[in-house]
Amino acid sequence: VKEFWLGFRALFPLYLGVVPFALAFAVTARAAGLSVWETQVLSLFVFAGSSQFSAAQLFGTGASGLTIILTTFLLNVRHALYGLSLAREVPLNTWQRIVGGFFLTDENYGVVLASQRRSFAFLLGGELSLYIAWNAFTLVGALAGSLVPDPASIGVDFVFPLSFLALLLPLLRARAEIIVAVFSGALAWIVSSRLPGGLPILITGVVGSLLGAWLTRGETPKTPTLEDAAREVA
Amino acid sequence: VSFELVVLGMVAVTFGSRLLGLFLTVPLPPFWLRFIRFVPIAVFAALVTPSLEGSRGEGVERVIAAVICGVLAWRTKQLWIGLFAGMAAFWLLRIVL
Repeated sequence: VKEFWLGFRALFPLYLGVVPFALAFAVTARAAGLSVWETQVLSLFVFAGSSQFSAAQLFGTGASGLTIILTTFLLNVRHALYGLSLAREVPLNTWQRIVGGFFLTDENYGVVLASQRRSFAFLLGGELSLYIAWNAFTLVGALAGSLVPDPASIGVDFVFPLSFLALLLPLLRARAEIIVAVFSGALAWIVSSRLPGGLPILITGVVGSLLGAWLTRGETPKTPTLEDAAREVA
Repeated sequence: VSFELVVLGMVAVTFGSRLLGLFLTVPLPPFWLRFIRFVPIAVFAALVTPSLEGSRGEGVERVIAAVICGVLAWRTKQLWIGLFAGMAAFWLLRIVL
């Protein structure tokens, strides 16, 4: 129970970005012609910010259902990488994988990996923290409509990149880790100007990790570098 | 295609992606174990750099704010201190510059 609340609270700083983003999503969805209920259904069941955003815009332009689903897949398939990594860090039974998987997001993965906590309770606490905030402010935004300002115009879209920067730095101890971070940052920067949404993250995640595995080819896999280095922040 | 059907498809591909990695627990060769170790580093870096430009050419403000956030988060080991300082700097610079 204590772990759960620690996880729940660990996500509080990110509310600064989650709240305006949820509001903006809801406003976009309503403007695209979705009802309050339909807007809420997306937050309740899909629960993946950027893909909900693009889906709302696609609904508005009358795109086909298949287009919307494929776009969602491209934006969200990166979660497979998070699951792969998370399952090796946190001990989880089958039900915990299913429940933990349903609520998994970039932010929750980041906070768990960067903390020294390795329990399902900590993971779930963070996940529900984000889920509740995201859904509560989806509802507020759907009802309040056009009174909500655009997050990019007030600059809060920058909260998430700053958070991941703060989560990244403590992980960089060895030379190979710094090289991978610099390389991945540069690669994502180049790729993101050509490809949409989550795809650059997936590509960079795979290519950057391949580079890391190759750079450390002489090492034994059990070196606990990351686990030790990760016991900071959040 | 009805709204419900599209949402069902969205849930299937999203939840499916999330479960896929979590259930891939077969023993992996050393190369892939090292690969997984680098996933957070590569992914976090990829989540930072594309947004340093900004859609309205506020790149300088963003880079300075990111440096402030990075130094403080790294020194204090507290996510929220780096985050709030970085955002405060960003807002201030948007006004000043």
